[in-house]
Amino acid sequence: MAIRVPCPNCGWRSATEFRWGGELRPLDAPDPEADFERVLLPANEAGPQNERWFHLLGCRRWVTVRRDTTTNEVG
Amino acid sequence: MAGRLRLGRRRIPIEAGDTIAMALYRAGVLTLTRSIKLHRRRGLYCGSGECASCLVTVDGVPGVRSCTTEARDGMRVRREGGWPSVEHDALAIADRLHLLLPVGFYYKTFIHPRWAWPIAERVIRRVAGLGRLPVGAPSRAASRHVMCDVLVVGAGPSGRAAAAGAAAAGASVVLCDEGWIHEPPVDVEVLERHAAIGVYEGPLVPLAGVDEVVQVHPARVVIATGAVESHPVFPGNDLPGVMLGRAAARLASGGVRIGDRAVVVVRHREGLEHLRVIRESGVRIAAAVVSDELATEVPDGIQTLVGAEVVRAEGRRRVHVAVLRGADGVSRGIGCDALVLALGMQPRDGLARMAGPGEVEVVGEAAGAASPTTARAGIVCPCEDVTVADLRRAWSEGFRSSELLKRYTTATMGPCQGAMCGRHLATFARARGAAANAAARTTARPPARPVALELLAAPVHEVIEQRTALHDLHVAAGARMSWSGSWIRPFHYSDPQAEYRAVRERVSIMDVGTLGKFLLTGPDADPLVEASFPVRAATVSVGRARYLLAVDEAGHVFDDGLLCSLGEEGWYLTSTSGGAERIEAWLRDRVDRLGLRAHVIDLTPERGAIAVAGPRSRELLSRLTDDPLDASSLPPLGVRELTVAGIPCGAIRTGFVGEVTFELHHPRSRGPELWRALMEAGSDLALLPHGLDALELLRLEKGHVYIGQDTLPDDTPAKLGLGWAAEPTERFAGRRAIERLERIPRRRRLVGLRFERGGPELRGMALHEGRRIIGRVTSAAASPAVGSTIGLGWLVGDGEGAPSHLRAGRVAAEVVATPFYDPTGERLRA
Repeated sequence: MAIRVPCPNCGWRSATEFRWGGELRPLDAPDPEADFERVLLPANEAGPQNERWFHLLGCRRWVTVRRDTTTNEVG
Repeated sequence: MAGRLRLGRRRIPIEAGDTIAMALYRAGVLTLTRSIKLHRRRGLYCGSGECASCLVTVDGVPGVRSCTTEARDGMRVRREGGWPSVEHDALAIADRLHLLLPVGFYYKTFIHPRWAWPIAERVIRRVAGLGRLPVGAPSRAASRHVMCDVLVVGAGPSGRAAAAGAAAAGASVVLCDEGWIHEPPVDVEVLERHAAIGVYEGPLVPLAGVDEVVQVHPARVVIATGAVESHPVFPGNDLPGVMLGRAAARLASGGVRIGDRAVVVVRHREGLEHLRVIRESGVRIAAAVVSDELATEVPDGIQTLVGAEVVRAEGRRRVHVAVLRGADGVSRGIGCDALVLALGMQPRDGLARMAGPGEVEVVGEAAGAASPTTARAGIVCPCEDVTVADLRRAWSEGFRSSELLKRYTTATMGPCQGAMCGRHLATFARARGAAANAAARTTARPPARPVALELLAAPVHEVIEQRTALHDLHVAAGARMSWSGSWIRPFHYSDPQAEYRAVRERVSIMDVGTLGKFLLTGPDADPLVEASFPVRAATVSVGRARYLLAVDEAGHVFDDGLLCSLGEEGWYLTSTSGGAERIEAWLRDRVDRLGLRAHVIDLTPERGAIAVAGPRSRELLSRLTDDPLDASSLPPLGVRELTVAGIPCGAIRTGFVGEVTFELHHPRSRGPELWRALMEAGSDLALLPHGLDALELLRLEKGHVYIGQDTLPDDTPAKLGLGWAAEPTERFAGRRAIERLERIPRRRRLVGLRFERGGPELRGMALHEGRRIIGRVTSAAASPAVGSTIGLGWLVGDGEGAPSHLRAGRVAAEVVATPFYDPTGERLRA
């Protein structure tokens, strides 16, 4: 499979073992309005973005990876 | 003669090597089908499995390409389309009444009045020239996966060379082709009669075989799908007897005379070969129309017209005049009963265009380029009956790019997926001055080749089926087992009503081992709980459980469960059976992102759980344990260790069903032992186990929601009437969302409903107030305790003023308070 995700425990594994967890977003926002943007208005980058992946069918660890959404290159 | 095939009552002789279309053509059957919309006669056209002009039903299977399917003795062939028959089609009037079916007709006609559409739709489906699906026929289709280094699609000369080259270099190679693969290269895995239907992320290339789907996962894909013959557009281009060069040459070399007098148009070198074969089969060549550079190569004795072009073809049942315009600009008709068009090749590049840049390697003819000239009239897309006039009209209505033309006219959406007409569409847009991007080829999407629905439904073998340790006991007790999420669970053992009464009146047990079960431990266990859930850890005393809502960062409820404080050891958390995976991911995300020193230990696979419920549950348990069970030792929502029948259990006093309930969480391996002990000890109490059917009624009487069934993905605690269960701290990820949502007026709310009659069939129905839809029923059941049908459902508004004259379908309903049963909770506290 082309998309491979680097798991800190298991090394590079096929993306089919993972569940995608969306864009990496800040942990908090200063007020409810900024929080709305933080949670519900993702940047939806065409290009490299930081994402969360959950190694569901593996060690069940989360990992943050940088993926180019136009080429699926993970680096 | 190699046998006969049956066409209705006729028996058609077959020669060795015949395709169905060849055998029929030889017998004089030229009309093979009627076109989908205009009901025009269609016959053999491309001869290479591209177009929809020769689709027939063979032995009950519709949509078989007769031009590429071998004829076999005893085959039953039926022609599709046409009413009452293909030969005498009353619906052919559609061709004259083009006004009734203008381009984009499904957006325009039959739309008003609204009630007419379902009827019109049924009629349109009936008259559309398609075969009948063999509904209900058993499927043999299966699906499997193949891994390899290189997949080569297409076993023509380029494909073979690529496969042989890769194999020689030591790669594992799969070579597939839609047709047979004779004498394949060595060291290559061959999948003949397997058509590649798409290139997906991965790459993943699914192949549609005769009765299987093969999912190929190659490291590298080579596309060698070759080329299709150019499809000329002029009036009459779809008449039976008008065909492309390769189709004619195949007929001729199979000993079939394509007619008595043929006009052959040749624009590329291969066409000269076609001309020769056709002539040798005994057909008189009325005229050969050739381009300048081929003029000298036409054999002697043939009338040759250099630089002429076809203006139109005329005829009723088949072509009888080809009208040509000479280089001098003068048009004249030539009598003929076959018109052969060998105009050149255009790459069959659907698969190649599906792949992302650099994902596949394209070799051979598939890598070529071609661009047809602009056509003035005629059928552009034979599969979908789209004419140049249709394109013009769509253009004048403002659909001014190839993608919009495609969507509006459905051109390129037929079985050939634009292999024949796609370039015409782009050329049409370009000729009208569309910008480059608006005149580009339309996006290629799977399936690149026709696929039977049966294959798309081929079973996936990787199904996760979870069973509890008690599975065999349920089966032995005759339970009806079925899917509930990924679990197989008992729905009822005998009569759900009897099981219901056992819970309400005596005692009953239920296998709840499917619940998600987690231990949250470590120095930061409390912060983890507060960061993950809207709960204040300090308010949950040791040895007590708290009803918990799992709320995400957007403030939406995604699960519920119980949170039990174990003191020093940390927290024991149960979630719904279907929500375990999500709640675990959510907890681990919090641990990871906040850098908490806390462990999330999934106990779901190693812990079983049995709920002992009913007014006599304490009496039953007291027979199996010496531990105290009274209301002060184990009060409602109390948690403590119990040894039941010698088995160490963590007991939680719950009340989902509305009676005194002890959930016994135990080591999974000892589950059957515990179940048997409970069944035995309860025999004189007329104990019955209960399944999901009884549970549905029991929980509904208590007004408890099933997250997912009674809720929507954007429900907040307040909308569910569970605002009291959300008490977020500063740590909680969704606290700002909850704060924000509290300031927005609620637009709908979950309410209890009472119906005048009915049962579970009310679920999903709209709730009307007068003629206005103001809500929806999410659960309903006839309740013995209430004496009427009860349910839960949505209503618009924030709850000010109850609606009057509420009904679900014809059933009157009213909004009532929940719980329906034991509203004060006396029975729970007993």
